[in-house]
Amino acid sequence: MSLNDREPSDRKPSDRELSDSVLDHLRRVAALPDLTGTRYELEREIGRGGLGVVYRARDRQLDRQVALKVLDSALAGEAQLIARLEHPGIVPIYEAGTLPDGRIFYAMKLVAGARLDGYLAGDPSLAERLRVIRRVGEVLAFAHARGTIHRDLKPQNVMVGEFGEVYVMDWGVDAVAGTAAFRAPEAVLDWRSDIYALGGMLAFVLPASAAPALRAIAAKAMSADAAARYADAPALLADLERFQDGLAVEAWSEPLWHRWRRFGSRNAVLLWLLAAYAGVKLLLFLLRNL
Amino acid sequence: MDPDTAIGGPHGRFPSTQLSLLEAVATGLPNQALERVAALYWKPVYRFIRHKFHRDNEDAKDLTQSFFTAAFERDFFARFDPAKASFRTYLRMAVERFAASQHEAAHRQKRGGDVAFEPVAEQAVTTGSPEEIFEREWQRQLFALAVDDLRAHCDGCGKQLQFRIFEDYDLAAGERPSYSALAARHRIAETSVTNHLAWARRMLRGFVTDRLRGVTAGERELHQEMRRACR
Repeated sequence: MSLNDREPSDRKPSDRELSDSVLDHLRRVAALPDLTGTRYELEREIGRGGLGVVYRARDRQLDRQVALKVLDSALAGEAQLIARLEHPGIVPIYEAGTLPDGRIFYAMKLVAGARLDGYLAGDPSLAERLRVIRRVGEVLAFAHARGTIHRDLKPQNVMVGEFGEVYVMDWGVDAVAGTAAFRAPEAVLDWRSDIYALGGMLAFVLPASAAPALRAIAAKAMSADAAARYADAPALLADLERFQDGLAVEAWSEPLWHRWRRFGSRNAVLLWLLAAYAGVKLLLFLLRNL
Repeated sequence: MDPDTAIGGPHGRFPSTQLSLLEAVATGLPNQALERVAALYWKPVYRFIRHKFHRDNEDAKDLTQSFFTAAFERDFFARFDPAKASFRTYLRMAVERFAASQHEAAHRQKRGGDVAFEPVAEQAVTTGSPEEIFEREWQRQLFALAVDDLRAHCDGCGKQLQFRIFEDYDLAAGERPSYSALAARHRIAETSVTNHLAWARRMLRGFVTDRLRGVTAGERELHQEMRRACR
């Protein structure tokens, strides 16, 4: 039978349509993970991304809170991917499993702290901002060395814990396309795309008064041409370190006056001693010849 | 006030299988694919036409019916490329093109005369763009069909109690009763209320998935649509 054969009146009319509030409720409860048969008890939703939802849950056996991430079954690789990465800057996974409806979940450490975008609202110092970026860069360098790329690095995926620890979250899988402001322009993402995102993060955390050398480091990392970016995360970190040590950075060919000023501020004590020495010598010379 | 049609409501009975849309078409079951598409999309298309083209109830019904008839007569599925867009987007854009061409044809006939479209103010009060209304109606119809599937399933396997608890709690129009009140009403333990609700919700999600599988091109699109449907 095709629609040609069927008159509208052939269809059974609805006696009740779902109201907006009932529909919203059904959409929400249909998304809730059914944790029957697991050791976890759902508490509340704490985060949501393009690929999954993170809940706060209680581990009944160990009587502790965990973060429980629920993903489509097609994304099962994410848990394995993160489990392979053991690093202080990557949230450890306690357990992974499959829900009765086929979705997968993994329980991980519940990090108490703030997302980087929220953390910046507390107006931390420049040194502290750079410390966070350097920690993120170290995690990236570790992951890249193991053949893993993040794909969606952004301030919302970085947590700063209550003791200052920095975690890089939401490690990507193939389905991730990145977030516009931090996504490299190339169609196929690779480790250099993470360098681009790290540059975007650096630009994001810099205060308005940041030195041009720091802005140049961010700009180099965010070059549209992937080949013009830093070769890897350690190269970017090395340039940041050079800046913090008062040295010239690779990303910026500074003007001569700026080089002298940097030399002056880096060798202030020596210059003051030299000036004092010259002053004393001049004074002695004047005293002898008067 | 010109109320919306009751056609395409959630109580129509349409076949449900595990085949994806393109599998159904490829395996020589285009009618089955058509039935599933019509069951889910008739009302969203109707509402979209009403709001996008300011049509009254009867006009919108006719146009909706014409769209489905014409679309399915003309190689509609063959032109769908899942690499370019979801089937939902493809269908909405096809509706837009179809309704626009009909609008233009009607306008040509009446050029210089009165084109009597219903004023927007007389339509049902709905906020959002026509595209948002389309998506919202798609969600509404999807869940209405899934609730029907759940009811039928419960009737068929003697789980009427589970459905009644689901109905009393999750379909409650106003304030939801407490679990203890539900337990007292149905003379069961409170933990049974929790378990029955968890079961019903799991089944509901399963039926939503099943309905979507019938109108999506594969697992990837299915997962994307599930994320849009369940929040």
